[in-house]
Amino acid sequence: MPTLELSNPAALPADWRDFVALTKPRVMSLVVFTGLCGLLVAPVQLPLVLGFTAILCIALGAGACGALNQWYEAEIDGKMRRTAKRPLPAGRMDRQSALHFGIGLGIFSVLLMGLATNWFAAALLAASILFYVLIYTVWLKPRTAQNIVIGGAAGAFPPVIGWVAATGHVATLPLLLFAIIFLWTPPHFWALSLFVRSDYAAAGIPMLPVVAGVQSTRRHIFLYSVPMAAAAVAPWWLGLTGPVYGLCAAVLNIVFLVLAARVATNRATDPKAMEAEKHLFAYSVFYLFALFTVLVADRFLPW
Amino acid sequence: MVNSEDEIIRKRQRERARVMALLLGAFVVLLFFITIAKTGMNW
Repeated sequence: MPTLELSNPAALPADWRDFVALTKPRVMSLVVFTGLCGLLVAPVQLPLVLGFTAILCIALGAGACGALNQWYEAEIDGKMRRTAKRPLPAGRMDRQSALHFGIGLGIFSVLLMGLATNWFAAALLAASILFYVLIYTVWLKPRTAQNIVIGGAAGAFPPVIGWVAATGHVATLPLLLFAIIFLWTPPHFWALSLFVRSDYAAAGIPMLPVVAGVQSTRRHIFLYSVPMAAAAVAPWWLGLTGPVYGLCAAVLNIVFLVLAARVATNRATDPKAMEAEKHLFAYSVFYLFALFTVLVADRFLPW
Repeated sequence: MVNSEDEIIRKRQRERARVMALLLGAFVVLLFFITIAKTGMNW
C-alpha cells in the first residue's frame, strides 16, 4: 500500500488518537490506580457513579498534566529518542491544539470533581495539576537535579484526592500514602535516568546522573529507599491497617531494598551493563501496584 | 496531492466529530446518573 507524503502534517487537523497519546495513558494508569486505592480504603463509601466520576476526574486531570507537559517540552522531547515520536515533536499536531486541549481538560476535570464529589477534592486536584505543570515542568525540571524529588509530590496527590472525594477531609492514612509515593518517585525515576542519561544530557535536562554522576545517583537511590520503606510499613505500625498489609509491605520493601543495594554497589557505566538499574525500575512499578493492592485487600477481605 | 490531503482532512474531521459525539453522549449519561446519585444522597 503506497504511503502519502504530506506537505505539512502539522497543518492538518490532528488525529484523535494523538490527543489520547498526549495524555500519557501509561502514566495515567498508575495515577488512576493509586487514586482508586485512596478512594477504596476511605471509611466512607461513595455511590458507585460518584466514585467512578472521582476516578475519571483524577484520570482527566493526569491527562491534562501530560498534555501541558508535552506542550511545554515539545522541543526537549524532540531531542530525546524516548520521546521524539510524541505527537508534537513528530509534527503530527500543532502546539496551540495541545495547549487548548490541556487547559480545557484540566478545567473540566476540576469542575466535574467539584460538582460530583466535593470542592475540597476539586481544589486538591487543581493544586496537583498546577503543581505538576508550573512547579515541576516549568520551574524545577529544567533548573535543578532535585527536580524529581520535589516534583514527585504531584504524583503523590491521587490517593489523597481519592480519599478526600469520599470523606471530604484528610486523615493520617492518605498522608502516609502520599509519603510513600513521594519517597518512591526518586528511586523509580533515578533508576530509569541512569540507563537513559545520555538522552537527558542531550536534551540539557539536569537529572541527577547528568549533574552529580552515576555513583552519586546510585547512593541517592538507596538513601531514598530507606525512608520509603519506613513510610510503607508505617500504616501497619500505626494500627491503620491489618497484619496482612504489614507482612506483605515488609516483604515488598525488603526486596526493594535488596535491589536498591545492588544498584548502590554496581559500578557499570555502560547502560547495557545496568541490569541492576533495569531490574529496580521494573520492580518499582510492580512494587507500587502490589503495595496498594494489598492495602485495599487488607481493608476488605475478612482476614 | 491536494485532493489526497483534502481526503485526509475530511476523514480526520469525520473521525474527530464521531469521537466528540460519543464523548458528549457519555457525558450527558454520566451527568444524569450523577444527578440521580446526588439527589438520592440528599433524601
